[in-house]
Amino acid sequence: MSGSSIVWRRRRSAAAGVWREFRGNRGGLVGLVVLGAVVVLALLVPLLTDEAGLDVTRVDAPLWAPPSAEHWLGTDNTGRDVLLLTWWGTRVSLVVGLAATVLSVGIGSLIGVLAAHFGGWASATLLRVTDFFLVLPSLVLAIALSTVLPRGLGTIVLAIGVTSWPSTALLVRAQTLTIEGRPFIERARALGGGHRHVIGRHVLPAVLPLVFVNTTLTVASAIVAESTLSFLGLGDPTRVSWGSMLHTATVQGAVSKGAWWFLLPPGLGVVVVVLAFTSCGRALETVLDPRLRGER
Amino acid sequence: MVTVRARRWSLAAVVGVLGAVVAPAATTPVAAAQPVGQQGVTLRVALTRQVDSLNPFLSITQVGTEVGRLMYDFLTAYDPKDQRPVEGLANGWTTSDDDLTWTFTVPEGKKWSDGEEITAEDVAFTYNLMLTNEVARTANGNFVANFESVTAPDPRTLVVRTKTPQATMLALDVPIVPEHVWAGVTDVENHANDQAPVVGSGPFLLAEHRPNEFIKLTANPNYWRGAPKISELHFVSYKNLDAAVQALGKGEVDLINRLGPAQYDSLRDADDIGLNKGRGSRFNELVFNSGAATSTGEPIGDGHPALQDVRVRQALAKAVDVDTIVERVNGGYAEPGTGLMPPSNARFHFTPARPRTFDLDAANADLDAAGYARGADGIRVGPDGRALNLRLVGHANRAYDEQAAEFLKRSFADVGVGVDVQLVDDNQLNDTSTSGAFDLLFSSWGTNPDPDFILSLHTCARRPNAAGTGGTTDTFFCDETYDRLYAQQATEVDQDARAEIVKEMQQRFYDQVPAVILGYDNVLEAYREDRFASFQVQPDPGGSIMEQNGVWGYYGATPTDAATAPRGTSTGLVVAVVAGVVIVLAGGAWLIGRRRRATAEDRE
Repeated sequence: MSGSSIVWRRRRSAAAGVWREFRGNRGGLVGLVVLGAVVVLALLVPLLTDEAGLDVTRVDAPLWAPPSAEHWLGTDNTGRDVLLLTWWGTRVSLVVGLAATVLSVGIGSLIGVLAAHFGGWASATLLRVTDFFLVLPSLVLAIALSTVLPRGLGTIVLAIGVTSWPSTALLVRAQTLTIEGRPFIERARALGGGHRHVIGRHVLPAVLPLVFVNTTLTVASAIVAESTLSFLGLGDPTRVSWGSMLHTATVQGAVSKGAWWFLLPPGLGVVVVVLAFTSCGRALETVLDPRLRGER
Repeated sequence: MVTVRARRWSLAAVVGVLGAVVAPAATTPVAAAQPVGQQGVTLRVALTRQVDSLNPFLSITQVGTEVGRLMYDFLTAYDPKDQRPVEGLANGWTTSDDDLTWTFTVPEGKKWSDGEEITAEDVAFTYNLMLTNEVARTANGNFVANFESVTAPDPRTLVVRTKTPQATMLALDVPIVPEHVWAGVTDVENHANDQAPVVGSGPFLLAEHRPNEFIKLTANPNYWRGAPKISELHFVSYKNLDAAVQALGKGEVDLINRLGPAQYDSLRDADDIGLNKGRGSRFNELVFNSGAATSTGEPIGDGHPALQDVRVRQALAKAVDVDTIVERVNGGYAEPGTGLMPPSNARFHFTPARPRTFDLDAANADLDAAGYARGADGIRVGPDGRALNLRLVGHANRAYDEQAAEFLKRSFADVGVGVDVQLVDDNQLNDTSTSGAFDLLFSSWGTNPDPDFILSLHTCARRPNAAGTGGTTDTFFCDETYDRLYAQQATEVDQDARAEIVKEMQQRFYDQVPAVILGYDNVLEAYREDRFASFQVQPDPGGSIMEQNGVWGYYGATPTDAATAPRGTSTGLVVAVVAGVVIVLAGGAWLIGRRRRATAEDRE
């Protein structure tokens, strides 16, 4: 039996243990189920519905119709079905949320690990950069970025990604420092392990669980950030997302009109998905960090 | 120790609660009850758009020119009923037989707000300033472009000589400024003109201007038609229409316009809210960048070259579904667009002999024929290899632009033209349009009863100078035929013959498509019925309160008896405030007394 297969078996059993623990956490499980359902729905929407329903030039339903048997959540200011809009909006919100999180956590982990591992002036420089981004009001920076750059999903992803990484960086740096202080790292170094070996084989695997938890929690805030930017009219104005639906509802006078059916669904969509991500993240955090495990 | 802390909390709570009760009650009536003028009623108008400048020579935005009108009278005015020219600063006029010399009489007794007499010299000064200073021609240069000379042989007589007969001599929409003030202004371009007191001649005078917050005007007691029935006029800025509608519902503002269809419908059943729907004189248009250039023909901006091809513009115009946009974006509260003059202006309104219909197949065929074949991704590619991806620039937070953009994007996609919608704020949009950095642009203009100004916006001469200033072109349109007709109509004094030329110009505009007129919005306005009994609409009936060709709406605002009556609430308020203060003091004294006693007990 080779050394790596032992490692893999140990990892598999650890993962199984994590899953066992996670299953025991009811909130986390509910969150996971809801998330799964949302993701499946978002993936299936092109198969189950007709995208033409989003095209303002091809709908002929009455404008501002309240919920009815035909339109379960009513219609918007152009006669489009709000249920359909909300459903399609899931895709943009999820995609932007996930992509922005990958970007943010990627930058954060890289800088965190590098800063902790190399120390010295490299660490000082990276930490000053992190501090700089940390003290910038991220919403203002994101607004500025999405005003300057061409409109589109990519810009929103970039704007959220580059403004939300500093907290991940600090978290990862702290974790890396504690890991690098342990004897097995010293041993690996003594045996001739270079930077690449130490980071790749020892530091990263040990930091990854934390990064993973952090990712789940960052997705939630990225989705909120996406909705915020779209609500402020900075997103792609012709692409349906929850934020842009709320924006349209506000601009078109849904509040004066009392068209609650146009305002509530996207808002509730954000709440549900963010809540699901957060409860998953919290549950994972509890599982992976024994100190958080209370008496049950 | 614990008890003392609890008492401190209770004291804070008492003060806090009282503050919360008294504070909101205190703010509203104080703002409304500044007793200036006769009855002391303030008309508060909600603004949802930005002001470019209060300098009457520079302002081209709707709000800026409207405030300019309120502060400075013109030489002549338009009747509220039928818009015919009536007395402004001048009360009489004659023309020479060759129609080249106009003599206006500026009567005695009209005064500037600082008490100085208004004379023909002030008028001559204003026109001459515009003739000699390019910057002073920015906003209204078209009116004086044809002037040979302007003189005031005596304080009561103004003589204007024109190079050729000019049709707009009784429709000179130029605010007349006082010579004794403006003679000292050396730098017109940077004169903000917003520091009170601003000497004016109109029914209202500027009191205070805070950009993007409010513009406060007070009634001019010396106004020659008589002082207005209200004492103050406030324009209060709101970030969006919904906020303004809520403010109207709560009574924070009295008058609001440019309502969206949804908002207008939602106010139908509201208490104390009066509605006014009029045929509008504004149009919305989709501008094509048909080749932005300066007045010397130097190309500027970065417009898509394909739009300089008239066949492309004509084909794209066929892909604009004007009727559906009126039906679904305007909620039916508009009339479909044809030419530059609205249908409410029957004399000059233009109906094409062969109307363009919405026809995607024809648009596709025309684009194919013009040599713009579809590329692999379905987007057409021009002979120069550039894909037909166009930027469409509109106003952020303007419901019309957002929604119409969606329609255009979809329709244009069907003819193989990609549209990237960019919604930006008003000032940025102005910069974008004057620098020609757009392909497609939403624009919207108000029209005067006289067509000259709106027609002039599309002449070569109105394009900006090399520095990007000094012109207010709308479309950068520069067409020989159009310019020739423009010159012709300007000298045609027979209004019927002139109307024919004006229609011919609109036909040319329609065929060359520097822009597609999308529709003429109905005017949707709402006001507080409990505070204002009536407003003078223009034209009457069926006109608007705000955005008139005059000041009648604000000047003729008549408060209700309830609004003018001394407020019972203010006495009640004084009692409430005094009572509140007494309770707070008494409560505080009692609590302090208790606390002293408590500490004394603790000491024992």
